[in-house]
Amino acid sequence: MALVEFADFSFKYLGADSLALRKVSASVNEGEYVVITGPSGCGKTTLCRTANGLVPHFHRGYIAGNVFIDGQNTRDATVAKLASTVGLVFQNPANQLVTLNVEKELAFGPENLGVVPEEVRQRVEEIIDLLNLEHLREKHPHEMSGGEQQRVAMGATLALKPKVLVADEPTSNLDPRSAELILDIIANLNKRNGMTVILVEHRLDLVAKDASRIILMDKGQIIADGIPRDVLSMDISSEIGVGIPKATQVYKRLQAKGIELSRVPLTGEELALLVGEAKRR
Amino acid sequence: MMSFLEVFQYTRQDSAVHNLDPRSKMMLAFTLAVISLLFLNIIPLMIILMAMLPLLAAAKSLRRWARSMKGMSYLLLFIIIFNTLLSTVSNPFSHSIALAIRLLALMTSFSIFFLTVHPDQLAQALIQMRVRFEFAFAMSMAMRYVPTLGQEAYAIMDAQKARGVELDKGNVLKRIRNIVPIIVPLIIVSIRRALSVAESMESRGFGASENRTYMELLRFRRRDWAVLFVSILLLVGSIYTRLFVTLPIWMLFQLPF
Repeated sequence: MALVEFADFSFKYLGADSLALRKVSASVNEGEYVVITGPSGCGKTTLCRTANGLVPHFHRGYIAGNVFIDGQNTRDATVAKLASTVGLVFQNPANQLVTLNVEKELAFGPENLGVVPEEVRQRVEEIIDLLNLEHLREKHPHEMSGGEQQRVAMGATLALKPKVLVADEPTSNLDPRSAELILDIIANLNKRNGMTVILVEHRLDLVAKDASRIILMDKGQIIADGIPRDVLSMDISSEIGVGIPKATQVYKRLQAKGIELSRVPLTGEELALLVGEAKRR
Repeated sequence: MMSFLEVFQYTRQDSAVHNLDPRSKMMLAFTLAVISLLFLNIIPLMIILMAMLPLLAAAKSLRRWARSMKGMSYLLLFIIIFNTLLSTVSNPFSHSIALAIRLLALMTSFSIFFLTVHPDQLAQALIQMRVRFEFAFAMSMAMRYVPTLGQEAYAIMDAQKARGVELDKGNVLKRIRNIVPIIVPLIIVSIRRALSVAESMESRGFGASENRTYMELLRFRRRDWAVLFVSILLLVGSIYTRLFVTLPIWMLFQLPF
């Protein structure tokens, strides 16, 4: 069975008028880098919450269908039990930092799960190394910039050693440079450490080249699901209004004018290369 | 005007007092506070106050303390004047001077604790004194979110000013009423934030295991035992003195009016 499996899952928040998710079916295998995108209110956040059991254990509502995480049904497994399988990073970094310094923050998760102190210490040092947090060690959350806060928040999640990292718009409150740094870290985790990643993101410019799959959502449903080049060149993508990379947009314009490139470009360099190729032909 | 509260705010320093275990410091502060409550004569209270100054110096915080006490001088003056005028004891002025010194001594004893104990250490000390983790953690989280909340309050104030709410105009009553458009959004925003914080904590296994572990435990070292021992000795000694020993005449010195 896949690592994350949604089987005809629907959800309606308590007191809401319409379904937040309707009959969502998708599966994510180990080592994949899945980007979820779509307009606001399309159910991306709910999907993330579903992945670690916040839906239905923390956010109450009506459910149909099942979600299986590493073989466990989220209807039965509690959020705490899923914490060491699925790590969730949220939008607002300030709300994820609950202790008074970075070391404590990184230790918070493992401590909660009752990991022995020596190993907690070791994990903290590993994360500090991995995410370059040495200079922040003793800092109060208030003394850090948004980008640094988000890096720490991600570290605090990684300290739980999850199999899947789910990040819900981790860059939406950040400036472009910090955002790029965070997305680079995520891409590296996937590439080097083989971490399975599910990322909700609007800046497809930055993530499309690293993603192995893009899932497009609208009104609680999955509209398209496939490799980035396919999904981004579909007409439906521009119709719902997702942030299609500039290079892909140029590709489509050229196509409309009768100039066919050999494949769909995702970055500027790739586009330049393909245009050069077409010119020579 | 509230600058005297600074004396209760932790300052990062590397000093002998900072490095003591918070639990031994708690006992020390408690002892000093109790002693200052036991006596109401100028000389013994002065002795207690003077005895605390070397401790503050050892904590490298003497200057900070002095600054805060200067900020408190108005309050002390107020206490002295009103007590002198309204008190019914035979030597009202002497009595109110003693009261003022007692207040100083009390504040100083607690400040030795709060100046040198990081809120994290305090929480950890409470946990190791068998306070439930949830309560101790709630306290440390309150500390964590004070600056965040302050920032939010300023943002709301700016937003309301931009919409034409005149926050600093009008008489006292009007100004008190002006708090409403600040406090209501602040509460709503805070509740929302609390939900989102809870979500994040839940996702990291808060309350998952009955046997929560701690990366670092506080340990009593020899000097902590020494401080504890001396504190208990002082406490017992001064309670005994208060109850069974008549103080020599010079200790009972009073001003003539």
